[in-house]
Amino acid sequence: MKFCVCIKQVPDVQAAVQTGRMVLNAYDASAVEEALVLNAENGDPVDLVLVGPSTATETIRKALAMGASDATHLVLENAEGADSHAISALLASHFDGHGYDVILTGKQSQDTDAGLAGAMLAERLGLPYATNAVGLRVEGDSLVVTRQGDAGQEIIVLETPCLVTCSNDMNNPRIPGLKGIMAAKRKQIATESAAAPSARTAVAGTVDPPGREPGVKLEGEPEELVADLIRRLNTEAGVL
Amino acid sequence: MSSILVFCSVQDGRIKRSSLEAMTRARDVASGAGLGLSAVLLGSSAHDLAGEAMSYGAQHVYVVMDRVLDTHLNAPVLSALESVVREAAPRMLVAASTESVKDILGALAVRCDAAVLPDVASFALSADEVSCQRPVMAAKKLANTSSTHSLVFVSVRSGSYEAKQAPADGTVVEVAFTFDDATLRQTLKEVVTTAGDTVDLSEAQVVVAAGRGVRDENGRALVQELAEITGAAIGASRAVVETGLFPATAQIGQTGKVVSPDLYFAVGISGAVQHTAGMANSRIIVAINKDPDAPIFDIATYGLVGDCFTILPLLNAALRDAMN
Amino acid sequence: MEEKFDCIIVGGGIAGLSAAMTLAKADARFLLIERGEFCGAKNVSGGVLWGSDLARLVPDYWQDEGGFERFVSHRRLTFTDEQSAFSVDFKSDHFKETPYTGVTVLRAVFDEWLAGKVQQAIDASAHPDESFLATDILVEEVVQEEGRVTGIRAGDEVFHADCVIIAEGVNNLLTRQIGLEKEYVPGDHVAVGVKEVLKLDEARLADRFQLDGRSGLTNEFVGACSEGVEGGGFLYTNRDSISLGLVLGMNDLRDKGKTPYDVLNSFKEHPAVADMIRDAETVEYSAHVVSTGDIKGMPSEIYADGVMIAGEAAHLLLNAGKAIQGMDYAMRSGILAAETVVEAKKASDFSAAMLGNYRKALESSYVLQDMKSFQEAVHLLHRQEMFSTVPNLICDFGRQFFTIDSKPTPKASAMMRAAIKRHASYWDLVKLGLKGAKAL
Ligand SMILES: Cc1cc2nc3c(=O)[nH]c(=O)nc-3n(C[C@H](O)[C@H](O)[C@H](O)COP(=O)(O)OP(=O)(O)OC[C@H]3O[C@@H](n4cnc5c(N)ncnc54)[C@H](O)[C@@H]3O)c2cc1C
Ligand SMILES: Cc1cc2nc3c(=O)[nH]c(=O)nc-3n(C[C@H](O)[C@H](O)[C@H](O)COP(=O)(O)OP(=O)(O)OC[C@H]3O[C@@H](n4cnc5c(N)ncnc54)[C@H](O)[C@@H]3O)c2cc1C
Ligand SMILES: Nc1ncnc2c1ncn2[C@@H]1O[C@H](COP(=O)(O)O)[C@@H](O)[C@H]1O
Repeated sequence: MKFCVCIKQVPDVQAAVQTGRMVLNAYDASAVEEALVLNAENGDPVDLVLVGPSTATETIRKALAMGASDATHLVLENAEGADSHAISALLASHFDGHGYDVILTGKQSQDTDAGLAGAMLAERLGLPYATNAVGLRVEGDSLVVTRQGDAGQEIIVLETPCLVTCSNDMNNPRIPGLKGIMAAKRKQIATESAAAPSARTAVAGTVDPPGREPGVKLEGEPEELVADLIRRLNTEAGVL
Repeated sequence: MSSILVFCSVQDGRIKRSSLEAMTRARDVASGAGLGLSAVLLGSSAHDLAGEAMSYGAQHVYVVMDRVLDTHLNAPVLSALESVVREAAPRMLVAASTESVKDILGALAVRCDAAVLPDVASFALSADEVSCQRPVMAAKKLANTSSTHSLVFVSVRSGSYEAKQAPADGTVVEVAFTFDDATLRQTLKEVVTTAGDTVDLSEAQVVVAAGRGVRDENGRALVQELAEITGAAIGASRAVVETGLFPATAQIGQTGKVVSPDLYFAVGISGAVQHTAGMANSRIIVAINKDPDAPIFDIATYGLVGDCFTILPLLNAALRDAMN
Repeated sequence: MEEKFDCIIVGGGIAGLSAAMTLAKADARFLLIERGEFCGAKNVSGGVLWGSDLARLVPDYWQDEGGFERFVSHRRLTFTDEQSAFSVDFKSDHFKETPYTGVTVLRAVFDEWLAGKVQQAIDASAHPDESFLATDILVEEVVQEEGRVTGIRAGDEVFHADCVIIAEGVNNLLTRQIGLEKEYVPGDHVAVGVKEVLKLDEARLADRFQLDGRSGLTNEFVGACSEGVEGGGFLYTNRDSISLGLVLGMNDLRDKGKTPYDVLNSFKEHPAVADMIRDAETVEYSAHVVSTGDIKGMPSEIYADGVMIAGEAAHLLLNAGKAIQGMDYAMRSGILAAETVVEAKKASDFSAAMLGNYRKALESSYVLQDMKSFQEAVHLLHRQEMFSTVPNLICDFGRQFFTIDSKPTPKASAMMRAAIKRHASYWDLVKLGLKGAKAL
């Protein structure tokens, strides 16, 4: 099946000190991995598309180094104001006329946790879709998706063409080897400049979440720890 | 009069607590803005639950009774909600941020030409703007986000507000719905639930969460015992879900569920940001970890430094005594 | 056909990146391999890059927003006993001239910034598609054929090159693998460095340390701050954080049964330090082995057929009390190794005889000259007196000298004599003083 994965470059949220370092959205890395695994035997393409500033090529190279086939970079120098609504609109015009069987996105952006762009894109393209997938399987012309729902795992069969948003619980993305890194560097990335985005939401800045009262760390003999805890749960916390 | 429409998620034959929390907030916001409050319920039990929605202030309860809506499949749900939104013409649609809601929110917004503020920790409405605070950067920050669009959808993280009743005299509005299966292009084959999911995590007052430190079946038994004694729901970290010891439905964090119980036990969990993103709002956090430098101790109300295989048997026994 | 590089560089720290930059500018075809997820990911450093070699690699680097944190315009050396701190303090406008003589860096930021500059140099070179910076890959083996180094192996991938520059840092496993380093490095040739990064709002930081624009302070500490363990402490200002840490003798720590973490915690509680880090929040803690700069710790040789060792992998470092110089040594040695590659390539000769020019270049640079001439100072620093008697004595004197308590005040010389009496014998001090004068 012909896959295309929408990938995003996000700030490294794990770093203790804000280093300004940008990485491939972890959920998208899982989507790329899954597509590569599904196409490993048949040699069908796994293409990529990214909307973002020119510095985001680094992230495209990373996904190419994993083994993806071709990439399109829709260059948007100032992508900060572009919300899921705007991004999905840009992506929808990119997919216009492309004959992909399956479009994959991450289930959410690691930095904003919006979780909208996938379903928005599917709706714009009129495709059946499933979100929060933890497993994918090809069956004839259909895609069998296992998604994590509220009450358990739902197994859904989607006719292709379709769109699926992927959870990172799906797999552990491969780390590119040297040959992959070198091959990726020599690949041509098609660049197009993206149209001006039209956002419907605006972020006016961020604040620190309310801090927690400092707690106590109890160390010592297990028996004493437990007794101390029970006493505190009873008296201080009033939860027992 | 325009209104705020609240989508009520149903599970096990009742409205989810997180929906009622969202509804309570929507009621306050609506009355502040001089708007009405209405609710929407889907599925064959919709009619029966309308009364409960009214006891939380819904003046109109839109119901779509089709059985296809009893299990979650996004195409029919989208189409049902689209019909209701068209009929009710609300100023806002508010819902609890459940997996099923996350599944449809983006597509519904495109279909209804709305703006979306997803997964918010709080929201408000002024004359021409819906504003909210929502966690970003793995919940290390709260972003002040807003929209001036004429129709705004908001999904609310569970535990953000307290559910409070305020009965209203409401009317039930049945919305006609037909759905052509041929347009589905998707089928739900099966829902796999794990036995033992007795208490719903996101609604639980007490959560016992296991991490990689719980290690094996013995560890799991100890955790289950603690949950039983405290009437808790069982949660888990991603690392321990990966080992297969706990079901994926139990996962708490950025990828998993958001919980904010009164009491949260973190057993053998290191406290990575992606985990704490889903539980840092718990009122009391008890952490048991043998590594005194584990980051979970930075947010724990009570941190017990030690081996969970030694501490849990003692704790379970002591709690049993204390509870009796 | 499988390609062959002019050079493979193992390690994307300061030494490796400096070599890479030099090679890119000389249009060489090279492969740099770093095991961290990105350059800088694994690197711990207190953070002053001394000297001006950075300007050789990246001219006008100070005009860049990114890269370094602050330039050093204010230096302080503090002697501590349990309650007091006696400082020698130097601040001068001459430090404000570019190229700066020292800049503070956070390695996770700086190394990645430098890697970006190297990538730009590659892109601008004659072979933009034939040189690579590869991260997240561990070199497991240096490949040798018939006694000469011909490449590296990572996983099941083998790559060949005319020569290999090993810039793997102080844990020099590959250097050992090819027999240039002893299997076992004695504990007195390595120390342990511990460091915390403490976040403080930029405006408050500038206020607290009287900083202006990107100017910064470095403060070294000796005495009670290390709880009697051989070693010293440091505090450096970054843009909106403080790097605080200690370098502690490995053997002495073990003998005294202390963990670096404990010593660091008590360092943070020292009144002089506590005042400086108040309200700053710890966001990062790390510990790393660091070379003591004992020349005996160096590998038996730093080059062989097809290979050169650069940076701390070759134990190139000087810590003679007034500063730790590891990064500038890494930078210069990386540059010199790469320059040797360029020469060797011209001559098509990568034999040990040719690569020996690297050693010669190092010998005539400040790196090996300073390491040699300050060996006595390095040894002196390991003496118990230097981190107990001397600082105690100085603080004792300071306490008398600066105390005005409505009693007749003795002359300073008498105070000094009294202080010395309480802490040491004249004779020992004279010996120590003479040694110190000679060493510095
Ligand atoms: C995009 C993304 C999303 C993610 N989403 C989630 C998510 O939703 N939820 C989530 O949990 N993680 C998530 N993660 C993973 C997260 O980063 C951590 O890897 C994970 O939370 C670690 O789980 P853990 O604490 O159980 O395991 P570890 O980090 O391995 O910690 C185990 C802990 O147990 C302690 N321990 C070991 N033995 C014992 C013992 N006998 N007694 C007491 N203590 C013991 C250890 O000291 C250690 O602190 C996500 C990661 C990414 C990149
Ligand atoms: C706490 C502390 C404070 C310090 N403070 C200062 C200071 O203020 N000023 C100063 O000048 N120096 C300081 N130093 C010393 C300085 O950090 C080092 O001397 C310097 O980093 C050496 O640079 P390098 O490039 O040789 O090695 P490193 O910076 O250690 O880089 C080596 C790189 O090689 C990589 N690597 C290793 N093995 C492999 C492999 N097999 N495959 C692939 N990659 C590999 C590593 O991941 C690493 O990135 C300090 C050190 C410590 C520990
Ligand atoms: N700038 C972008 N370029 C390409 N795909 C994107 C971009 N932003 C978001 N996506 C896709 O949408 C998913 C996240 O949606 P959201 O959380 O709404 O931002 C990501 O996992 C990507 O697959």
